[in-house]
Amino acid sequence: MQTFKKGIVYLLFAIPVVTQLYPLLWLLLYSLKTNEEIMDGSFFSFPKSFQWHNYSEAYTSGNYLKYLGNSVFVTGITMVCVIVLSSMVAYAISRFRWKYGGVVMTIFLMGMMIPMQATLLPLMIIFKNIHVLNTHWSLILPYIAFSTPIAVFILSGFMRDIPHEIEESAFIDGASVYRIFTSIILPVSIPPVMTVCILTFINIWNEYILAATFISSEKLKTLPFGVYTFVSQYSVNYGNIGAFLVMGALPVILIYFFLSNRITKGMVAGAVKG
Amino acid sequence: MKVLKVPARTIAVFVLPCLLLYVCLVFIPILVSVYTGLLKWDGLSAATFIGLGNFKDMFVNDPVFWPSVKRTLLYAVASMVEIPLCLLMAILLNRYLRRGNTLVSIYFTPVILSVVIIGQLWKTVYNPTSMGGMLNGVLVSLGLESWTHNWLTEPQIAMYALYFVSLWQYFGYHLLIQYTGVQNIPDELYEAAKIDGADGFKADRYITLPLIVPIFKISIVLAFIGSLQAFDLVMVMTAGGPAHATDVISTHMYNSSFGSFKYGYGSAIATFLVVVCLVFTGVINMIFNRIDRKFN
Repeated sequence: MQTFKKGIVYLLFAIPVVTQLYPLLWLLLYSLKTNEEIMDGSFFSFPKSFQWHNYSEAYTSGNYLKYLGNSVFVTGITMVCVIVLSSMVAYAISRFRWKYGGVVMTIFLMGMMIPMQATLLPLMIIFKNIHVLNTHWSLILPYIAFSTPIAVFILSGFMRDIPHEIEESAFIDGASVYRIFTSIILPVSIPPVMTVCILTFINIWNEYILAATFISSEKLKTLPFGVYTFVSQYSVNYGNIGAFLVMGALPVILIYFFLSNRITKGMVAGAVKG
Repeated sequence: MKVLKVPARTIAVFVLPCLLLYVCLVFIPILVSVYTGLLKWDGLSAATFIGLGNFKDMFVNDPVFWPSVKRTLLYAVASMVEIPLCLLMAILLNRYLRRGNTLVSIYFTPVILSVVIIGQLWKTVYNPTSMGGMLNGVLVSLGLESWTHNWLTEPQIAMYALYFVSLWQYFGYHLLIQYTGVQNIPDELYEAAKIDGADGFKADRYITLPLIVPIFKISIVLAFIGSLQAFDLVMVMTAGGPAHATDVISTHMYNSSFGSFKYGYGSAIATFLVVVCLVFTGVINMIFNRIDRKFN
């Protein structure tokens, strides 16, 4: 009876492994097949011979590296700005004695409930007027703005618990607030900063709608938007599309493969604290 | 304990850059949106002020609006349905496996992928048989040919096909949250319960459930808010079609604004969306505060 129950439970654990991973594996197989094999519709057949040329064709007919570079640039700048800006605010909210700390915090908290899509149209109008539409800044600026609330929340929650004796003694030794911030508070806050990095990375790296709305130049597209363009343009050669999708998923999958523990922990921290 | 008394200028240096950027890019656009919601405007010619005319159109005359609200709410309900299941899985994982983390990380994989990849992947899965769609392929090989559908182009089922993809993608996310919550319950509690004769699911009823309420709430809020904002996946997979059959509030807003250039009308829908998000977040928090009090 006991082993039977165990068997059932293990089966229960195994089912999601199949359902969550098989579609991804299927995509990989898909990308290595010929059009005929794909049309055939068999759902777990291996390709007769691996069509690696799907990848070289996808690579040469799309701008994969360009998209990848743009995504690295946009996500990188966003992450750096989010960390710097939000840790400064978090420090001020959690450690300074001033009247409006609570108000500022509330303003940021409210932002967490505001859907990003609701700002699409007004932002487009504003960006058009100040001529930043169709530049990377039209992505980076809103990305930073929408990533700060959760970042401020996580960081200030952590900084509040740093023992204030550390600060006091540094202050007595004549260190300025700026000095205390950069050489004491920030180094101590590395764990929550990592959490913020992970959350921002996953959100921004994958963001599609803003990019598709604000960017029109081929050479400025980020990876998700680029993948989308490629797929809608080359709708005849399924193998190439599959290959481009796999290439689009690859960076994040690789990072996840090496850092899955950190990423899952970071995502939970982000969810639970949010 | 806040020890640092610093001059106002220092505070400004720390707070203002971020706060200004944030207010300018989140709050001001929302206000702009509320204002343009009162205009009749196509983005090019001069705008005319029509007061609440757009809202009246929206609530009374627009045949797409209420169905899209209904689908948005159904989306939310559908996403919340999987959370109790996730909790059950989490409890079982914690009980039967010493190192469930690896398994949970595997379940989590779809969460980290871009919605473009997920959407395209599922589009190929849902493809008609003639284009090698996997789902139809499976059905045919099981001898269930009559069950095959054009999943994304038949209006009656397209929306359910989308709900399913969302459930699929976020299953690992909710499971991970619940699993972490279950893991954080100290073992001593279960040991003490065992001595008192409460074991297995009985222990879950009196220990796990009350202690997991806050985590459960987080999942529910995330699922709910996430579905109110459900947007990217629908845009990528069907863009609201066929014939508005999969329009949710946000895609209806997007299509009105950018598809038919009704900037004023689109902004009115955006305003509605913001209000709904704020109200529902408040309501859910209130409900859970009450449940929390009842349990503890």
